[in-house]
Amino acid sequence: MSSREQILARLRQNRPQGPALPDIDAVPFITFDDKFDAFRTLVRNLGGDAVQLADGDSVQSVVQQRWPQHGRLVDLTRADNEESASPHAWHDVDVAIVPGELAVAESAAVWVSHADNQWRSIYFLTQKLVLVVPRDAIVDTMRDAYRRIAIREHGFGGFISGSSRTADIEQSLVMGAHGAMAALVVFV
Amino acid sequence: MKNDNINHAEAAAAFLQDREQARWHDSAIWWVRQKRDMQAKQLPEWEQLRALAQQIKAHTLSRLDDYLQQFQANAEKNGVTVHWAADADEHNRIVHGILAAAKVKKLVKSKSMLTEECGLNPYLEQHGIEVIDTDLGERIVQLRQEPPSHIVMPAIHLKKEQISELFHRELGTEAGNNDPTYLTHAARANLREHFLTADAGLTGVNFAIAETGGVVVCTNEGNADLGTALPPIHIASMGLEKIIPRLEHLGVFTRLLARSAIGSPITTYTSHFHRARPGGQMHIVIVDNGRSDILGNDDFYQSLRCIRCGACMNTCPVYRRSTGHSYSYIIPGPIGSTLGPSRDIKKHGSMAFACTTCGSCSNVCPVKINLHEQLVLQRKRAFDAGTLKPAKKMGLLAMRFLTQHPSLMDAGGKVMRKVVPIVPENLTRHSAWSRPGRALPEMPEQSFKEMWQARQEKKS
Repeated sequence: MSSREQILARLRQNRPQGPALPDIDAVPFITFDDKFDAFRTLVRNLGGDAVQLADGDSVQSVVQQRWPQHGRLVDLTRADNEESASPHAWHDVDVAIVPGELAVAESAAVWVSHADNQWRSIYFLTQKLVLVVPRDAIVDTMRDAYRRIAIREHGFGGFISGSSRTADIEQSLVMGAHGAMAALVVFV
Repeated sequence: MKNDNINHAEAAAAFLQDREQARWHDSAIWWVRQKRDMQAKQLPEWEQLRALAQQIKAHTLSRLDDYLQQFQANAEKNGVTVHWAADADEHNRIVHGILAAAKVKKLVKSKSMLTEECGLNPYLEQHGIEVIDTDLGERIVQLRQEPPSHIVMPAIHLKKEQISELFHRELGTEAGNNDPTYLTHAARANLREHFLTADAGLTGVNFAIAETGGVVVCTNEGNADLGTALPPIHIASMGLEKIIPRLEHLGVFTRLLARSAIGSPITTYTSHFHRARPGGQMHIVIVDNGRSDILGNDDFYQSLRCIRCGACMNTCPVYRRSTGHSYSYIIPGPIGSTLGPSRDIKKHGSMAFACTTCGSCSNVCPVKINLHEQLVLQRKRAFDAGTLKPAKKMGLLAMRFLTQHPSLMDAGGKVMRKVVPIVPENLTRHSAWSRPGRALPEMPEQSFKEMWQARQEKKS
């Protein structure tokens, strides 16, 4: 018998009693009166920021104001977005502007799963990450979020909440462990 | 790899010699527990959330074979190769086989307690593959050639001065610069080079979704993402208990994991991997290594609900005052003290006694494992297996004899209450109760039994 067959046979033989799957929607979860405000307050504690785009303003001008001296900028929200020959070729990106599908108020997380982007490495190699999210695509909790996301054909999707961080040295919080040093969420 | 011969009490006594370091360790970890409490209190549904997580995991364990087969079928539909490993050795051989076939020279790894359990790093290094741990804490302990002391905060036993010295020696940072930001960013620059030049990436798995055939990996640093987005090969190693039935169940577990672990609402990155990156390969190795045996044990199978958040360690008064390095099994703290003895009671018997039975671990556990009850049952096994030191064994046997003979117990207590107060101090100085910070209690006039009887008489 292969290891697979042996393992499955033991699991079958050793099955404990268990309950039926619970209805996870039966429990009321927290809701927020002002989801954007909850999101912004939280993301500011997590090495990020959030803004609502004013009428007549553009994401590009918000980015320019925030980081006037920025280096290489890649904008994946443009229809003719730049492609890269390899995942490694994004290594010197300073600012990446990427589409975010959905924001979650309770965790300041944004769902990223962009089918037009071949190399997901850009989300993690860039020094500054700008997530552009439709204003009405904000939900209360992760449960609401999982109801709305889909696992796409290209096979990658992730929630990103604030900037990359670590507290592995004496519990001192440091922003910029391996991924983006700064995160900005722009609601449009 | 850890030394199996560690006796918890002896190792803890050695750690406590440095009082200042011990106090810092205790308070740093207690702070993480307090942050967890602050997060839990912000959610009115917190206790119901724990109950949902418990029910989902309990249900899954009752049909683990079905869900694993469903998971495999769906993963294969996505073009992922699924492997099964009966034990640590088979896991290591499978991983090496994948790497050798692709002539991999350098592997970048994100945090995985399973690969620590299997001893993967030394195995691959013996076969000429360079292994780079990329979680900052894991990298620190890898460079120090020691095991992690905590499953979420691997280097929590170290002070920044020690890390500064290490980085000065290994990475060429400035001597005496102890600034955590400076040190972290130096490691960032060094590890970026490794990410960009690695031939393969290996991650652990936080959750494996039967319904979709994908795996979810949670990190704050982004190391799992860089390690799988850049090299063409992604290997995900998972214990077979990591399975959850449906995608929607992540709506429960992602709310609990980081809040319980570090007091954050969520990790920075919660990444869902369902296919290899374009032009690449994705492999998932499902590992048993003793888990299917634990499933068949009525006393201990609930420990397989664990999602490895580490909340039980952060709250444990014994863990905080002894560090993870005092435990013989690779996973320390309350959960390790049931998993280790379940695996090998002869090696890990002393862990069952690293517990005050206060029950705090069971109260914070996000999947409501009856941890302290399991530790009491593991003590019985440790005693039966003959793992106790002679003095402890004699003490327990004497106590058993006394509790079975109430009149002898009463008489013994009476003698103790009279004799102890008049024993000269230099005789008790070397007893277990007279170490620094401990004192013999004041002896009461009466025993509890006598007080109770007097009280009942007064009432009637």
